[in-house]
Amino acid sequence: MPILEVKNLVKNFDGLEAVNDVSFTISQGEVLAVIGPSGSGKSTLLRCLTLLEKIDRGTVVFAGKTIIETTAKGQVRYAPEEELRKIRPRLGMVFQSFNLFPHFSVLRNITEAPVHVAGLTEEAAQAIAFELLAKIGLSDKAHAYPYQLSGGQSQRVAIARALAMKPDILFFDEPTSALDPELTGEVLKVIRTLAEEKMTMMVVTHEMGFAYEVADRVLFMDKGQIIEEGNPEQIFRQPTNERTKAFLKNFNYGSRF
Amino acid sequence: MLSFWDSASFFQMLLLLCNGALTTLQVFFLTLLFSLPLGLLITLGRMSPIILINAPIRFFILIMRGTPLILQLIFFYFAPSSMLPEGLKFNLPRFTAAIVAFSLNYAAYFAEIYRGGIESIPRGQYEAAAVLGFTRRQTFFRIILPQVIKRILPPISNEVITLVKDTALVQILGISELFRVARNEANRVFSTVPLFVAGFFYLIMNWVVTKVFEKAEKKLSYYR
Repeated sequence: MPILEVKNLVKNFDGLEAVNDVSFTISQGEVLAVIGPSGSGKSTLLRCLTLLEKIDRGTVVFAGKTIIETTAKGQVRYAPEEELRKIRPRLGMVFQSFNLFPHFSVLRNITEAPVHVAGLTEEAAQAIAFELLAKIGLSDKAHAYPYQLSGGQSQRVAIARALAMKPDILFFDEPTSALDPELTGEVLKVIRTLAEEKMTMMVVTHEMGFAYEVADRVLFMDKGQIIEEGNPEQIFRQPTNERTKAFLKNFNYGSRF
Repeated sequence: MLSFWDSASFFQMLLLLCNGALTTLQVFFLTLLFSLPLGLLITLGRMSPIILINAPIRFFILIMRGTPLILQLIFFYFAPSSMLPEGLKFNLPRFTAAIVAFSLNYAAYFAEIYRGGIESIPRGQYEAAAVLGFTRRQTFFRIILPQVIKRILPPISNEVITLVKDTALVQILGISELFRVARNEANRVFSTVPLFVAGFFYLIMNWVVTKVFEKAEKKLSYYR
């Protein structure tokens, strides 16, 4: 059963269709990679699904519950705010620029939402946080502040912060694009581990090698639409669409393929 | 004339000035007490997307920053007893009028400083809070405001230092604050010495203000 179903999603920015009639599903435990040129609407799509942007048309069904629908008259209806409030933490998001809270320690970055949104006790939240810190290899940084971390460490903390809310789906918006090349590996490693644990993830990425290796399915987007969809083998080795072929030609995979 | 310079007279002058300084400090602290939180309310109104809220607030800020504080003092003292329709007229005690004028005036300046601080916080902070499920209220008070406070401390300290010196304006309403007392003394003994002693008082007060803000900035320097 799909955990997320998106039907005919449209998002306009100043008359421009950033996301133009996109439909797809994500199954439980699946890793979905979204690739495509800049400005193709990948990030906007992610922002719509994490409820950061209001959509202009379409239906979104999450865990069997319709959270956004469009009436026959074309009116977009979101679920009532109190329901959305419960759903938001279940849709985790990792940003390109980390967006850690600079005035909180690493530990508190991770525990703040579990305590004040999920209502956990401080102790329970810290237990979860230390477990996650161990997992991302940053146990020794619990009491550091974000400015003391490298980009790769910051992004790993951001992942831990999202995981602490026990999301059903974790969305990644180009998680390594703001990192120095030598730091992308440590972040990708964490995502890879999550994939092995069957965490449901949707990853917008420019790391083609990573998408090929980790994703169960790949969406290729261009000009706001899903142009091609398939398993990594198909998309990277035998793309059928001309635009997909043209896009992938720009990447040098080295000996990976 | 000569008698002024004996220590007893000098000490007496100091006592008088201290008394005036007490009034000055009252104006200072009461103004801060009211204007700091009021400024936050004003800035929230100023940033409201609803024009019926933000337009009057903008107008209010324009008036408070655009006219002399000394005139505002006179207005709040005389308006209630003269400009209101018959039956609604009332007398505002001069000290109360002074506090009202100062609080509103400083709140307008603080509001704009707060706004600058709030708008300098990156969108990503709001978005990170939103996806974690924080309510708008939680986001503002837990995530945004603490960061704003760190950023606005230097401009706020500017305003607070100015406030120490601006308190001298309340003498226009006949309130015996530090500078008025010093001026009276100066006239009485026919010497400028009391004025300079008063100046030294202001300097001491602002030295304390400066130290307090340095401490606060240091306290918040644990993060960047």
